[in-house]
Amino acid sequence: MGAIRIVNLEKHFGEVKALSNINLDIEKGEFFTLLGPSGCGKTTLLRTIAGFYHQDKGDIYIDNQLINNVPAYQRNTGMVFQNYAVFPHMTVFDNVAYGLRVRKMPKEAIARKVAAALKSVHLEGYEERTPDKLSGGQQQRVGLARAMAIEPRVLLFDEPLSNLDAKLRIEMRDEIRAVQKSLGITSVYVTHDQEEALVISDRIAVMNQGVIQQIGKPWEIYTNPQNTFVAYFVGKINMLTMRLEEGSEGGLRRAVKGSLSLVIPAEGTEDLEEVVVAFRPEDVVEASATGRKNEITGSLQTVSFMGSVARFELDVEGQTITVDRHRPREADMPQKGSAAAFAVPVESILLFNPKTGLRVGKGALR
Amino acid sequence: MSARSRRADIWSLVIFAGFAIVVVFLIYPLFDIFRYSFMDKESGALSLSNWVAFFSKKYYLRAFGNSMFIALATTFFSMVLGIPLAFFTTRYRIRGTNLLNTLSVLALLSPTFIGAYSWITMLGRNGFLRLMFKSIGISLPDIYGPLGIILADTLQYYPFISLMTAGALMTIDRSLEEASENLGARSTRIFFDITLPMVLPSVTGGALIVFMMSLSNFGTPMIIGGNYLVLPTLAYNLYTSEMSEMPGMASTVSIILMLCASVVIILQQWVSSRRKYASMLVNRPVVKQLKGPKSLLAHLLCYFIVFMSTLPLAVIVFFSFRNTSGPVFREGFSLNSYRQIFFDVPKTVTNSFIYSLIAVLLIATVGTLLGFVIARKRTAAVKVLDPLLMIPYMVPGTVLGIGFIVVFNRPPIFLAGTSVIIIMTYFIRRLPYSVRSAASILKQIDPALEEAGINLGSPPGRTFWTITLPLMQGGIISGAIMSWVTSMNELSASILLYVGKTMTMPIKIYLSVADGYFGTASAMSTILLVVTGISMFVVNKYFNRGSETFVAA
Repeated sequence: MGAIRIVNLEKHFGEVKALSNINLDIEKGEFFTLLGPSGCGKTTLLRTIAGFYHQDKGDIYIDNQLINNVPAYQRNTGMVFQNYAVFPHMTVFDNVAYGLRVRKMPKEAIARKVAAALKSVHLEGYEERTPDKLSGGQQQRVGLARAMAIEPRVLLFDEPLSNLDAKLRIEMRDEIRAVQKSLGITSVYVTHDQEEALVISDRIAVMNQGVIQQIGKPWEIYTNPQNTFVAYFVGKINMLTMRLEEGSEGGLRRAVKGSLSLVIPAEGTEDLEEVVVAFRPEDVVEASATGRKNEITGSLQTVSFMGSVARFELDVEGQTITVDRHRPREADMPQKGSAAAFAVPVESILLFNPKTGLRVGKGALR
Repeated sequence: MSARSRRADIWSLVIFAGFAIVVVFLIYPLFDIFRYSFMDKESGALSLSNWVAFFSKKYYLRAFGNSMFIALATTFFSMVLGIPLAFFTTRYRIRGTNLLNTLSVLALLSPTFIGAYSWITMLGRNGFLRLMFKSIGISLPDIYGPLGIILADTLQYYPFISLMTAGALMTIDRSLEEASENLGARSTRIFFDITLPMVLPSVTGGALIVFMMSLSNFGTPMIIGGNYLVLPTLAYNLYTSEMSEMPGMASTVSIILMLCASVVIILQQWVSSRRKYASMLVNRPVVKQLKGPKSLLAHLLCYFIVFMSTLPLAVIVFFSFRNTSGPVFREGFSLNSYRQIFFDVPKTVTNSFIYSLIAVLLIATVGTLLGFVIARKRTAAVKVLDPLLMIPYMVPGTVLGIGFIVVFNRPPIFLAGTSVIIIMTYFIRRLPYSVRSAASILKQIDPALEEAGINLGSPPGRTFWTITLPLMQGGIISGAIMSWVTSMNELSASILLYVGKTMTMPIKIYLSVADGYFGTASAMSTILLVVTGISMFVVNKYFNRGSETFVAA
């Protein structure tokens, strides 16, 4: 139940190409996330699956049934909306029962299913409340219960947590994940929050400008980004466009930018003159740890203490390099404006083609 | 796919019906007026003679000048009364603010001619106030003419300004004024730098509405104007005296009146489309408690303004219970006037109720459906229909009346002398308000709610019935009640269209006043006032709508 297949999907809004060449295979029971910045097409894709938009090209299958021409109300997809969309003129019970009543289910069955749905979102005893008496988090639980109650083929989440405060967001996130796993309903989840995507998903599709940039498990997306957009959007990363020096040795070669000189993997760089050298802030180490190999020096522009992490911003050749140090100690904290030296282990470096933005070479981080 | 096309058909039908209504009941009559204005009175040949006459004869130009003068003066005095009233009642603690608002809205919604007629009974040739003052040696100026029109118009329409300004004053975020104070501004400085600019769009919007209402008002100048003609009364007089097959001059005057109204409406739309500063997350402004003489002065001012606008209504109610014998008032009190109505002209009363009821049902149904189409289905056809539906805003009642009588007095659509033509007048005049309000209610309903219904398996039709309509209900009903009030009180178009058997209360009141039957007129006016009052009460009580609604609807 619930496998989704999308083939060569395209959608235009006037001149704007909202989705181009979308191909997806979402497995049964999978928690699949569409991640990207606003306007990337993720919500358009979700709404096309729900049937609120109709694609200009391509096919959508649920359980191998072509649903292109099935109207939205017959698609049996349970949607959870960004602004809850809880019917304000109905009680909690009536909200959750709505889809069941539409399906002309007998009364006892409705009562039973509503009770079960409310139980799974911890809203027992709220049946007779009206939505104006509920908090945002509770309203979203009603939205979730309502979508689950109809036992849909797939659950669709349209940024369901973005209107909640930070703490509640984490709580609900874990709850959605738990409910989804226990029911085993295939879910498509839209978010712009990369951390949320990493935590909640089985797999993620990163989207930008209507195009899927990369599909993979959270680990893959983070450690093995296939282009600069994915690397930049998921997590934080430093990127330096550097000139390649001739020659390589032992699978390594040298890239320079001004006085900065780094040893990088040679694989895939053969035909390039320049390369984008990228590394994540948490992979930067003390200069002493590499024996001053691949050293980066510069003056400290900002020093931010963030609790578990201290973040430094270093001016290197006119570019800002971010460095994170875990478990910082006050005594070790350098002064703003002072000179600092760090190093980038060669195995923490990802390379990209500066012209195409695509990955150069293979292999994930760590 | 079949479901998809069936759904499209229902809404296409609504759109088609919308176009049909516009074409038959607006474009057709208005175009005919336009045509007649270019037709020579005698020969029927294409000619500019009417237009030349309008712009060359003093008689016509004077009416134009009079109209402008009355509208400007009314607007000015309405601001003089409305702005201080709004400021005092929102910023200072004034006891009984709700009562003041209710009374001024009652004056605003009451039939326009009642105020005029009441001022005649007070300050007319034999008005009791005039006689009273005369007995102590003070001679008051003549109320007939511009003075009376401006007096009656101002005291009826100033609530547009006071309520809209009060609405804006109440939604200014307090922190803006606090920020100004924090940056070192004193209270007068704050008022001129922050408060006034924030409410200015609302004041201007209200002023333009007052101008428009006064410009197209027919009842007041007809009753109290005497020989002083304004455009609507000029058009009416021309039409009734021309009575020929070709009402050329009346048409020309109508077109000019409509053009003036259009300019004002366009200005008003432009003002209201510009950024409004009202914020949703309001830190409501503080209401200050005034002390001692200042408080007394503020109270006196507010109560005096509202008293003056309520006085004419109270006088009418009082007169309706006075003893009469035929047209003459006698000593003492009795229900003679009411008896007279219910024995002599019961049909007039039932006509008013029945026509208004039918019109309201039509208005609410058609308005809601068209409002839905305009808010939710932005097809090319709808984009054309939307502004067309707003035309009645710009058509003063007199003009619509002339248009209707001209085209529906002949085949293919013969409606003259029927109740249908009166009902259609009510319907058309009120339709844009109903469409607008339905569309704006819908804009406040998150489309995600409808999508949620559909997503849960409910077809679009069922979703409309179970989700959309219940959410719109309050707004539709309160809008319908407002339509009911305006239909009950409609005079300017129906006076051109009625025949004996389709007479309504406002027409009867006008005729009674003209014939000197003040008792009957008072009793009928009282009935209309009571209907208006009850309707207002219902809207307030059951739909929790503040006084601002009456201005917006």
